[in-house]
Amino acid sequence: MITTSNLSKKYNESTVLNIENLEIPKGQSFGLVGNNGAGKTTYFSLLLDLIQPTTGHIENNGVMVHESENWKPFTSSFIDESFLIGYLTAEEYFYFIGELRGQKASDVDALLSQFEDFFHGEILDQKKYLRDLSKGNQKKAGIVAALIGEPEVIILDEPFANLDPTTQIRLKGIVKDLAEKKGVTVLISSHDLLHVTDVCERIVVLEKGEVIKDLKTSEATLKELEAHFSKVAEV
Amino acid sequence: MFKRFISLEWKQFRRASYFQKGMAIKILLFLAVLYFGGAALMLGVGLFFIIKKAIPTVDPIQVVNNFLIYWFLFDLLIRYFMQQLPVMNVKPLMTIPVKRSTVIHYLLGKTSVSFFNFLPLFVFVPFSIVLLTQGYPVINVFCWFIAMVSMTFANNFINFLINKNNVAFYVILAILVTFVGLEYYGVFKASEPIGSAFNYLYNHSYLAILPILMAAGLYYVNFNFIKKGFYLDDAVSKKVKEVNATDLSWMNRFGAVAPFIKNDVKLIWRNVRPRQVMFMSFIFLFYGLMFYTQETYKNMPAFLAFASMFVTGGFLMTFGQLVPSWDSEYYKMLMSQNIPYKTYLQSKWYLMVFAVVISFILSTPYIYFGWDIFGMIAAGALFNIGLNSFITLYGGVLNRVPVELNVKAKAFSNTNGFNPTQLLIALPKFLLPMLLFYVPYKLINFQAGIVALALSGVLGIVFRNVVFKKIEAVYQKGKYKTIAAFSEKK
Repeated sequence: MITTSNLSKKYNESTVLNIENLEIPKGQSFGLVGNNGAGKTTYFSLLLDLIQPTTGHIENNGVMVHESENWKPFTSSFIDESFLIGYLTAEEYFYFIGELRGQKASDVDALLSQFEDFFHGEILDQKKYLRDLSKGNQKKAGIVAALIGEPEVIILDEPFANLDPTTQIRLKGIVKDLAEKKGVTVLISSHDLLHVTDVCERIVVLEKGEVIKDLKTSEATLKELEAHFSKVAEV
Repeated sequence: MFKRFISLEWKQFRRASYFQKGMAIKILLFLAVLYFGGAALMLGVGLFFIIKKAIPTVDPIQVVNNFLIYWFLFDLLIRYFMQQLPVMNVKPLMTIPVKRSTVIHYLLGKTSVSFFNFLPLFVFVPFSIVLLTQGYPVINVFCWFIAMVSMTFANNFINFLINKNNVAFYVILAILVTFVGLEYYGVFKASEPIGSAFNYLYNHSYLAILPILMAAGLYYVNFNFIKKGFYLDDAVSKKVKEVNATDLSWMNRFGAVAPFIKNDVKLIWRNVRPRQVMFMSFIFLFYGLMFYTQETYKNMPAFLAFASMFVTGGFLMTFGQLVPSWDSEYYKMLMSQNIPYKTYLQSKWYLMVFAVVISFILSTPYIYFGWDIFGMIAAGALFNIGLNSFITLYGGVLNRVPVELNVKAKAFSNTNGFNPTQLLIALPKFLLPMLLFYVPYKLINFQAGIVALALSGVLGIVFRNVVFKKIEAVYQKGKYKTIAAFSEKK
């Protein structure tokens, strides 16, 4: 589904990302971990064509991301709060995204009704603009908006941060469901090793822009990751 | 404590991104300040003599006094829309031992050093000096001057109140509407007694104490008002507004551009900065009055063409020049969403066209100045729709300044949408209509000029798809730069 080859990104001679080859098959739940500055967000930004690669390219479902816009209809994402339109209410925002993705208002409503649990009564019918919601609630709205329009690839940057424990658990359920039952390719980055190992079938560790571990999740993965990151801490 | 606050402010000012902008902008800003200051100064010096020449029978100071009320009302109006009130970052101050009253005094004091309080000084000081040189009594002039300054400050504090307090806003609005209405229909001319009150004040110097008391009283009211609400969730901090949702589904008939147009309407309606722009563009409607009423311009029709373009082009230019910037807060999302650039641009174009049409309808009273003038406005409107809109959109892409939607633009400290490229792109907007009109006018006649101006717009409308493609390519090319610029922290 997503093929990355010879991809690198440099800012004035300092390389922030350098991935020789990375294949993410369709329907995989893919986790990206790494310390601050490891290049997670850079990679996601390249995937969304928000920055230009210095060398190499990413192919999303056969579409060259930095050359064509045809990856947009089947790809959706939530990177940070700048993906929200602050002066809209949550409903208006969902309908707006729905319209962009060719969904009728009733389709959007049907989708939203599945997430009543997740919203916990704090998103819909609030008579509040998104900019006035709390960080956690903004995140909830953004994540659900990324699910509108039956995308085949979903990219979520740090989806667990700022969420309360209940919502984190619900989100894990949602993500698992997407990858296993609906065949959606889900890309997640996180600082929380426990959450990623819970959710993702495959975990890639980035360090200073390079892939240094590529693990298929198993019982031992969490231990291995913890060992790795505590080692990094000691060095 | 005050000293420390000031040093904090200074750091905030020095380290703000706009201060680190290029030399060119600083020079431009300096020139702008110089221009407005200079204009005010000229007015202050010249006022006395102008009035004396125009109305030789009445004492100029009396004429001035009679008109003062309008001056202050206008001052208040401009302030309401333009003056940025200090929203001090009170959060860090609440948990450290600083007296509340100190912070509030400082906050109110800070509003006093606004540009809007200095501008009147540029008028009143030279005017008073002229009065003195003309042999008016020193005591009277001095006290009158003090009264004027006090009134200015009173306005400053009224503005603070009506901005922060809806009740005060509606009360003052109601009073104003009533008096303006009474005045307009000739029932009761409030401006006359107010005028004579000012005259009385001038003649009885000790009365200058009244405006001073008024300013002080308003200061006190403000102080109490802020003190009552000095909590994070109250007046001084950001306000959470209740949503006012309107059903815009009727706009769905616009097809592919509908979602964007609906969004833009909400953008304008719900954010401070675009609302301010709306207000500004309304002022542009009156631009024609400045030109059509002057005999001098009768013989310079090129300037009339320029003015006619301005009458309908206010919104187009003020809103349009910031076109991608309006969406800067969520531009990354737009760029990764399923959106063709063309649709995005088209929706902005429709919005501008709509605004031009509305302005054109509102400009019908200009028929009073004759059909020639109105024909010119119509031609200017066509030029705006067909040509100016595209130039503006094209210029927008070169203007990569993020806009904070819900923050008022500061007068003269705001360089948003104000840079040399923007100025360069503004030139054709002004020169083109003059040229398009002037050449055929010189060669053939007045009507030919109007036709040429109108035709230029029609051509643009006919070939709009070609033009959109070109503009789209430019936007596409600048995409990464724009995203990077918009995600810079302010």
